[in-house]
Amino acid sequence: MEALAFKDDMAGTTAATANSLQLIAFSIGDQTYGVEITTVREIRAWNGATPLPNTREFVRGVINLRGTIVPIFDLRARFGEGQTSPTKNHVVVVMSVGEKWVGILVDAVSDILTVSKDEIHNVPEGNSIDTELLNGIVTHDNRMVGLIDLHAVVSGAKMDA
Amino acid sequence: MSDLDDFKATYFDECSELLLELEEQFHAIEDGDRSSDRLNAVFRAIHSIKGGGGAFGFAALVAFAHAYETLLDHVRDGRVELSEHVTALCIHANDIVADFVAAARDGVELPPGYGDEEKAQFDALTSGGDPDMSGEPMEEFDIDFVPVMVTIPGAEDTPSPEPIERLASTDSFEAPPMGGRSWIIRFTPHSELYARANDPLLLFRELATLGTIEVKAKLEEIPPLGDFEPFGVYCSWEITLTSDTASEARIAEVFEFVEGNCDLEIVPAPATADVGPAMPTFAELAGIEPTEDKLDAEVEAAAAAGEEGKLLSFAELAEQLKPALKAAPPVMPTPLAASSPAAPADDHDGDNERRSGPEDRRNGVQSIRVDLDKIDRVVNMVGELVITQSMLTQQMDETLRARYQELVRGIEVLAQTTRGLQDAVMAIRAQPVKTVFSRMPRLVRELSAKTGKKIRLETIGENTEIDKTIIEQLSDPLTHMIRNSADHGIEMPETRIAAGKPEAGVIRLSAEQAGGNILIAVEDDGGGINRERVLQVARDRGVVGPDQALTDEQIDQLIFAPGFSTAAEVSDISGRGVGMDVVLSNIKKIGGSVHVKSWAGKGTRLTLRLPLTLAVLDVMLVKVAGSPYVIPLSSIVETIQCARANFSRMPTGNQVLQVRGEYVQVVDLASRFAMTTDVDRENRFVVLCEAEGGVKVALIVDDIIGQQQVVIKSLEENFQSIEGIAGGTILGDGNVALIVDVQGLKSTATAHKSAA
Repeated sequence: MEALAFKDDMAGTTAATANSLQLIAFSIGDQTYGVEITTVREIRAWNGATPLPNTREFVRGVINLRGTIVPIFDLRARFGEGQTSPTKNHVVVVMSVGEKWVGILVDAVSDILTVSKDEIHNVPEGNSIDTELLNGIVTHDNRMVGLIDLHAVVSGAKMDA
Repeated sequence: MSDLDDFKATYFDECSELLLELEEQFHAIEDGDRSSDRLNAVFRAIHSIKGGGGAFGFAALVAFAHAYETLLDHVRDGRVELSEHVTALCIHANDIVADFVAAARDGVELPPGYGDEEKAQFDALTSGGDPDMSGEPMEEFDIDFVPVMVTIPGAEDTPSPEPIERLASTDSFEAPPMGGRSWIIRFTPHSELYARANDPLLLFRELATLGTIEVKAKLEEIPPLGDFEPFGVYCSWEITLTSDTASEARIAEVFEFVEGNCDLEIVPAPATADVGPAMPTFAELAGIEPTEDKLDAEVEAAAAAGEEGKLLSFAELAEQLKPALKAAPPVMPTPLAASSPAAPADDHDGDNERRSGPEDRRNGVQSIRVDLDKIDRVVNMVGELVITQSMLTQQMDETLRARYQELVRGIEVLAQTTRGLQDAVMAIRAQPVKTVFSRMPRLVRELSAKTGKKIRLETIGENTEIDKTIIEQLSDPLTHMIRNSADHGIEMPETRIAAGKPEAGVIRLSAEQAGGNILIAVEDDGGGINRERVLQVARDRGVVGPDQALTDEQIDQLIFAPGFSTAAEVSDISGRGVGMDVVLSNIKKIGGSVHVKSWAGKGTRLTLRLPLTLAVLDVMLVKVAGSPYVIPLSSIVETIQCARANFSRMPTGNQVLQVRGEYVQVVDLASRFAMTTDVDRENRFVVLCEAEGGVKVALIVDDIIGQQQVVIKSLEENFQSIEGIAGGTILGDGNVALIVDVQGLKSTATAHKSAA
């Protein structure tokens, strides 16, 4: 644990080595999730979004990111736990998914983690939502960190007719 | 050699422009305009294509273009008559040139012997003409593209383009007006003449204003290079001036400023002045001079030496000038002058007059090639500027206005300037529709040949300008529309005569600006849409239900249904059922609409209504369920307060609005967008919009905020398209507003209604 903590301190200055992965960790409720740091473009405070009609409840709307329109996904709602009631303290993590930029609404960004790729566990079979939305699980500080599958999160946004 | 690739790319860009111009010129020639301007333009275009092709070593292209050019030259001289046969051959030859260019560009090999047949026809037409012209080595024509070559790395010391182009103007000094009096002027400058910054060249130019001059440089005095004094004067000239007006005094006046610094002798010459044709002319010297300012007189001498091959000591100097000299044949064919850019500023008047005609126009229009991406970036930034400016204007409330009048004035000026800037930027992107229209005459010719119908194409308003992106999207729809008119509209000649119409059908292609829109119409004087047949086919295919009654207009619109074709047989022109639906979807994609109107037995008119630009939209800003939406101003007919509107209820429960004796379908945006609003019904507003084909729809919104201009942003870029929403835009406060897709709402509303 000692060594791992040290690595964390260095995370901001040293690049991830070939076999390790740097994650941005954020929280929804008391659960921690992470995405690979290289996909993150920007982290900004929640400042409202223009709702999009005829979309699923986890699509919070669109925001203006320096002249381009970026959709915001409510991760809590995506997990089926109901819409977040966002405040100024909530955070939007803007990421690139393929060619597209999307934002996800989370409660808070907590940490930057460096984990070894060997430490990634498979998501246990069971709930289809879990296996669909998570790429894997890592352990950090004895806590579980779910690795978000962004492609899965942003898919199926349109309301079924 | 990426530089060379760049030059190649530029060359191919130019080629496509030139090929377009060829089309255009021949269209005019076909219409009976046989003026020499047209022919000159054609000649110039072919010549430029050939010249560049030669520079890049596209041998097949050059050989073909050369034969073609020779024919054109004969036509221009009147040695070959521009008969219909020749015109047709030329038009066909343009295609072949285009093929050669395309093959060269894509690195594809054309089958051996491609174009030989046409080449043989050219030769047959031109043989018997002046063998000098047809047999001339083609390298001599290459000077148009010499500038391309000189900037290739490693060749920096080759002369810059200007002198060569100026050399090209030699011919204006040629073509001596025979007759008039001749004078021989012997001019030997002293070294003081140069020390006082005089330049013999300027004197010669001055002389040239008096008449035609022939300049001989006397080079006998020039020592071997080793004995060469940098400031020594070794050169003198003998000038033969032929002029009606010059007198000895007038000639002496030219040399007034160098009097005492030179030896000058002016004698009248015998009428048959022995002026050798190989003698370097003044203009050649003039052309070379600016390359080597420091060496002026010496280099002029060297140039002459190079031409005459007398003085070896100047071989090295002459080496630098070789390309220029090579490019300057003793007798310049006239077209070179035609393609030369602006004449030197101090050219004399007679000269300028002689190069009148199309060149003047050409020289007047100066243009640069700019990457479209760069322009788009400017367009986007101007868009943001417009938004910021409108935000500033909105922030100016009454108290601010009263307190800071200077600021208010400043903002007003800013508003005007941004408007102007925006218009200017849009004008950069705008192009005349001519670029698309000019491809259509060929299409009509082809169609006419394939169908056996006689068809004449008329184009109107081809200088109407429209955004480049829209123009690019126009080619396919127009092609389909014209095909459709030729195949289904225009009747066979016998049928037409029987119906009392002229034998040849007319397809009229027109463009005009109407407010914020461009209207492009394809009109034919054919039989009109056969509504019975269209309806029959539609019923057979289940597009229309068996008991559904349709108005004439609705039947006409059926031709846009996907896969719809009434042609009994599939021809290779049309009838496969792809076509009109492509037109509709392409035009919709660029924010336009298609309208069809048909008169039985008289013809059909298809009208495309297109936005002037894709980038900026005039909109009305409204609020629905607390969120901002914008509705394109172009589609809004009027706005009504709900309290004053006259609603009625249909048996299905759908509401309709009665306005000016018309019943209009109502769409409540809040419920349509599955949102809740707490605004009282009475305080809401009706925005009456007109969708495609003049169909109206009444949108109900919570509040109307105002009008403004917005820049359209894509939702699909980072997300996906949403029904009823045409895109997004960013408001002055930085928030995103959604653009209401009036057309989309109208059609989905119809679908809902029929499902209910």
